[in-house]
Amino acid sequence: MSIQFHPITRRRMVAAVTTVAAASLVLAGCSANNSQPTAASDGPLSGTIRVLSNWSGSEGDAFQAMVDGFTAQNPGVKVKVDTVPFDQTQAVLTQQFAAGNPPDAAVALPGIVRQLSSQNLLMNLDPLWDTWEHDGEYNKSLRAIAAGSDNHTDAVYIKANVNGLIWYKTSTVTSAGLTVPPTTWDGFTSMLDKVKASGHVPFSVGAKDVWVPTQWVDPILLNVAGGEKFGQLQRGEIGWDDPAIVKGFTVLASLIKKYWPDNALDTGFSDETCGWVTGDHYFANNGAFVNGIVASCDPNLKPGTDYSFFTMPSYTGSGTPAQAVSGDLFVGAKSSKNPAATKAFLAYLGSVDGQSIWAKRGGYIAPNMKVPSSVYPTVNDQRAANLWPKDAKAVAGYDLDDWIGGEIQSKYRDALVDLIRTQDVAAFTATMKAADTRSGK
Amino acid sequence: MRANSSHRAAVTPYLFVGPLFLVFALFYLWPTIATVASSAFRWGMLNPWQTQNPADWQFVGLSNYADTLNSGDFWNAALNSAIWLIVFPTLVLATSFPLAILIWNTRRGASFFRSVFVIPMTISLSAAGVIWSFIYNPDVNKGVLNAVLHVFGLDKASFVFGPLELHAGRWLSDPGILHLGFADIRLVNLFIIIPAVWAFAGFGVITFSAGLTSVPAELIDAARVDGAGRLQLVRHVVMPSLRPSILVVGVVSVIFALRTFDIVFVTTGGGPAQDSEVLAMLLWKQVFQFLDTPQGGLAAAIAVLMSVAMIVIAMPYIRATLKEQR
Repeated sequence: MSIQFHPITRRRMVAAVTTVAAASLVLAGCSANNSQPTAASDGPLSGTIRVLSNWSGSEGDAFQAMVDGFTAQNPGVKVKVDTVPFDQTQAVLTQQFAAGNPPDAAVALPGIVRQLSSQNLLMNLDPLWDTWEHDGEYNKSLRAIAAGSDNHTDAVYIKANVNGLIWYKTSTVTSAGLTVPPTTWDGFTSMLDKVKASGHVPFSVGAKDVWVPTQWVDPILLNVAGGEKFGQLQRGEIGWDDPAIVKGFTVLASLIKKYWPDNALDTGFSDETCGWVTGDHYFANNGAFVNGIVASCDPNLKPGTDYSFFTMPSYTGSGTPAQAVSGDLFVGAKSSKNPAATKAFLAYLGSVDGQSIWAKRGGYIAPNMKVPSSVYPTVNDQRAANLWPKDAKAVAGYDLDDWIGGEIQSKYRDALVDLIRTQDVAAFTATMKAADTRSGK
Repeated sequence: MRANSSHRAAVTPYLFVGPLFLVFALFYLWPTIATVASSAFRWGMLNPWQTQNPADWQFVGLSNYADTLNSGDFWNAALNSAIWLIVFPTLVLATSFPLAILIWNTRRGASFFRSVFVIPMTISLSAAGVIWSFIYNPDVNKGVLNAVLHVFGLDKASFVFGPLELHAGRWLSDPGILHLGFADIRLVNLFIIIPAVWAFAGFGVITFSAGLTSVPAELIDAARVDGAGRLQLVRHVVMPSLRPSILVVGVVSVIFALRTFDIVFVTTGGGPAQDSEVLAMLLWKQVFQFLDTPQGGLAAAIAVLMSVAMIVIAMPYIRATLKEQR
């Protein structure tokens, strides 16, 4: 807000008071018309489409390379990319859809896909998915993630990720005499205790970016409570006070208390990564995309040899814990003025050709199962891609935070920040039980 | 002829006021009425309440107000807004008034100093928030404030003074709490208010400086002759003369405090958790973040309650002004 000074008389002040009071009402008084869908064109692909994305830096470059790949195949189509900050994606999308001026295609997470589809605002992409599923490019489990509330598949999967990877720098771990990966939960915590005893805080945590601590919840819940309970919590079939879920958060609170730094809430994601790359901390728990970010802290490190990752060992000691996964979807607006080009663009984003472009750059996992592992540039990328659950029967947990969306997500993030500060699991459980009443219905 | 002239005289004022009233009615009055009306219905941003579609209306009466007033989120935001309402105008007055007096007493460079304090006013509050986020950075290599405290070994110090808990260094995450028994006041609000005061104090300086030019010189001379000291001069001569300016700065600050949004959004986003969430931010979240349930009506109810609060707070000033005009 810029403030311009004018000599203010009392009369003007009265007007100002009245005006500002009215203006705050105006804020909530804005309404908008929903655009009606336009008819699809059968002509050759041409014209312009507007695309909303939220990637910046190297990820933004990679997405632009995908866009360039599409326009190379479809020279008649011009793709205009609008980039918004990650944490404002939902608000911007809502505003634009509500104002009847949505982008033709936009990045989205499952929660917003369900909301937009419930208002009949998204393109139905069933035919595309039928072909992909038939050709073995995607399986039913992956298709379910892109499903809307309207019994159609309303999104394509553009970018996958596997989470719960414990990243470390080889030299730091070796010089401390640690053996990685630990094979048991006790071995894992013993290793962390050893780091702590040496006067270091084991984990670098960038909880100032609130999505970071949510990345801790998923692998621990999947590990402690199991994939089935995780799925039930996600779908609202059980409450946050379910004993298995409470146990999961108790384990998380214990890890926070013992092994997290005091300044976690002051540290952002990029500082988290540099925290273990520079050796201030020993580990960080985050997704596979970290592989593409390490170079911004130290460009001389070689993936696989100088730094690597392992997954948390089983808490219960039996079998391999279900893999935590996440990723980004892309939707098309039903009211797009260029539906043919938009659908072609979405098809390209989900295709082997499109995803191979980003996969070659690293720090990325292609959700399309036909993208060969040979395209990944580093051993870390290949290992992470191998964790992607290509078998439809494999138990995996999709990012709880991204899935729930809306008010529950907002409350969940706030409650998680409180849990980090207090490690009070009972308070966290009570807050979430009040915020998420789905299981009681 | 006389009747014609009299008719013209009666109509002319309306012709002048008409266009302004039209703009006011279109852009302020109608949205106000629509907002008040929409607060009695259930709707969401993706499926907005529209006056022309009565078939889609879901009338809920006053339940949006009842839900709002029964919500812990609302009272948390109301408490944070109340902190703004008390602390922000107080700090603006407490900084800008002495500064204006000092500048007024400055023999040389008064214009320069006035400009120095007004310059932050030219920066948007969002930018001010970003600048101060850098100042507050907990990393002593990046944040100026913590770098200074680090020199004295205080960048990670914690203090407890009775009900007051202070954590130096964590200015925007966990700077401390004032335990009042009936409520916990999170100090993070204070550290967002400080940059807002920094950006806004120039308004007070300019207003007071303008007011000071109208203080009668003979009154000051007479007080000096009578042996008044500097403080007595300020207290008994200057302050009474500046009462209108104080009122203006106070009321504008209060309005500013109640509708604050941007600086909170860029510094903490209302966090950590909901520690700095103010009413305007809760309203925004209800509409744009809580998409899973249609809560536009709740947001409208909050807007109406905020406006009522603003009018109630400003009423003494409005009444005094109208009385004076009469």
